[in-house]
Amino acid sequence: MSGLADLTLGFIPLTDCAPLVVAKARGFFAEEGLEVALSREASWATIRDKVLVGALDGAHMLAPMALAAGLNDPRSAMLAPLALNQNGSAITVSTRLAAQLRQIDPEGMAEPLITAASLAKLVEQRRAQDAPILTFAMVFPQSMHNYALRYWLAQAGIDPDRDVRLVVTPPPRMVEHLRLGEIDGFCVGAPWNAVAVDEGLGEVLIKASQLWPGGPDKVFGVTAGWAERHGDELRAALRALIRAAAWADEPGNHAELVALLSRPDHVGVEAEVVARALKSEIVFHRDAAGLPRREHALWFLSQMVRWGQVRAELDLDQVADAVYRPDLFREAALSLGPIVDPAMVFADAAPAGGGLFDGASFDPAKASSYAAAFPIGRMRP
Amino acid sequence: MRVLVIDPDPARAALVAEGLEGVQPLEVRRAATFDEREAAAFAPDVVVIAADSPDRDTLESLREAGQHNPRAVVMFVDRSEPGLAEQAVRAGVAAYVVDGLAPARVRSILDVAMSRFALTQQLRGDLAKAKADLESRKTVERAKGLLMKERGLDEDGAYRLLRKLAMDRGKPIGQVAADLLAFAGVLKGDAS
Repeated sequence: MSGLADLTLGFIPLTDCAPLVVAKARGFFAEEGLEVALSREASWATIRDKVLVGALDGAHMLAPMALAAGLNDPRSAMLAPLALNQNGSAITVSTRLAAQLRQIDPEGMAEPLITAASLAKLVEQRRAQDAPILTFAMVFPQSMHNYALRYWLAQAGIDPDRDVRLVVTPPPRMVEHLRLGEIDGFCVGAPWNAVAVDEGLGEVLIKASQLWPGGPDKVFGVTAGWAERHGDELRAALRALIRAAAWADEPGNHAELVALLSRPDHVGVEAEVVARALKSEIVFHRDAAGLPRREHALWFLSQMVRWGQVRAELDLDQVADAVYRPDLFREAALSLGPIVDPAMVFADAAPAGGGLFDGASFDPAKASSYAAAFPIGRMRP
Repeated sequence: MRVLVIDPDPARAALVAEGLEGVQPLEVRRAATFDEREAAAFAPDVVVIAADSPDRDTLESLREAGQHNPRAVVMFVDRSEPGLAEQAVRAGVAAYVVDGLAPARVRSILDVAMSRFALTQQLRGDLAKAKADLESRKTVERAKGLLMKERGLDEDGAYRLLRKLAMDRGKPIGQVAADLLAFAGVLKGDAS
């Protein structure tokens, strides 16, 4: 096999690293002429830094992290030419907190879709009793998990910066911190919600597929400079990853996928738990899950504006178009032939539909005014 | 000036701390994991953290929230000293620095941390190699013993035969000896 290039790609031990692990283990990278080494990393910040300095060629990445990378320094600009998954994360609370919520609001907790209204009542009661505020963990400031948790809390009138305390905890430590009572709940990707449930420590209140059906999560990220210098390698890597995502979605391959992911050098969690988290909802390929949709980029950017991570005057369209590159996805996907349904490759010609659980509509053409309209937010001029 | 060293690898952390203590005047504290309360009490000017510590993301969030306002040195030195940030990332070191600290002081701390990380890696490499050498020497001794018994060779003859096999196959002598022992085991019927 004539090697096109040697690549080193980074990942974090989470179920949604599956396309990378599969592309390597099933030989999809090799069939594209790529000799790929996978490097398991301990933090998102290290993934970002290593990609920026070229110690990694590309990586499993939080979508908003790719969007934020070039904001302060254009030399650090990144691209997201492929979305790695939809869904997979969830908001989980300790069994103790769940019991308290059930006590204060039995009806709300019995609903098929649990909003934070029950939690808002408890927060109110605790404030009246002078009890300490509750602590929730997520994985990174620029992450779907942070924005999802904030959105869900604020939708019920809970100010995520005042009424509760939000902290960042690495995914593999979430469950331990819940056990120790250092946190009362968290928003994290698979398989860690399933691990908490499995150990009898936590209860899932809302899954990503309920919070935002078909909502975005991780991407494959590279620097803009690397993509420019290595167009052929990038296309080859994208082709392999798209094939891997399609493979990972096939129910017939799930047993093998579970075995791969549960390996200690990958996610390193018991196969049964990985299997449960996989079955419940995560999507890698179907429903155009791989397509990096412009409207998803704009929604992330609207939340960065809303929570004051970026200034409101930022040109959101310009950032979205520079980082999210559906054109690169299309080019790679269409070259694969029958594996990919051409209609799926152009699925973003129409709006994704659906939207978040509260039914509020999001018009990507008005992302800035959408950000400004929330009653709870930290907008900076 | 106070420096907090976070490293899940205690031996490496000790080396870094020891190295930093040579940079005067510094107060150095080290921990395997980042504890927000302990860190707040210590109030470090610089946090040096191993890139393989998962606590990096927690430090990022503090930077974001501006609670202690440490800025990632990766961003910080990049403008004034091109290449330093890249060197640090490749060496596996990250640092967070309180706003307004002189770049030269940060640089001297980072230099120490980077050289100690490299030293740790070298020591670990040397140790692994020493272990492998020892193992290989033992294997060669056993293979020699086998050849002496089975082929009726003297020690010198057995060694020469092993060396010839290694040269013919283009493999290290330890590898050839291990193969020989494995095959002898199979022939004797103790395959496992």
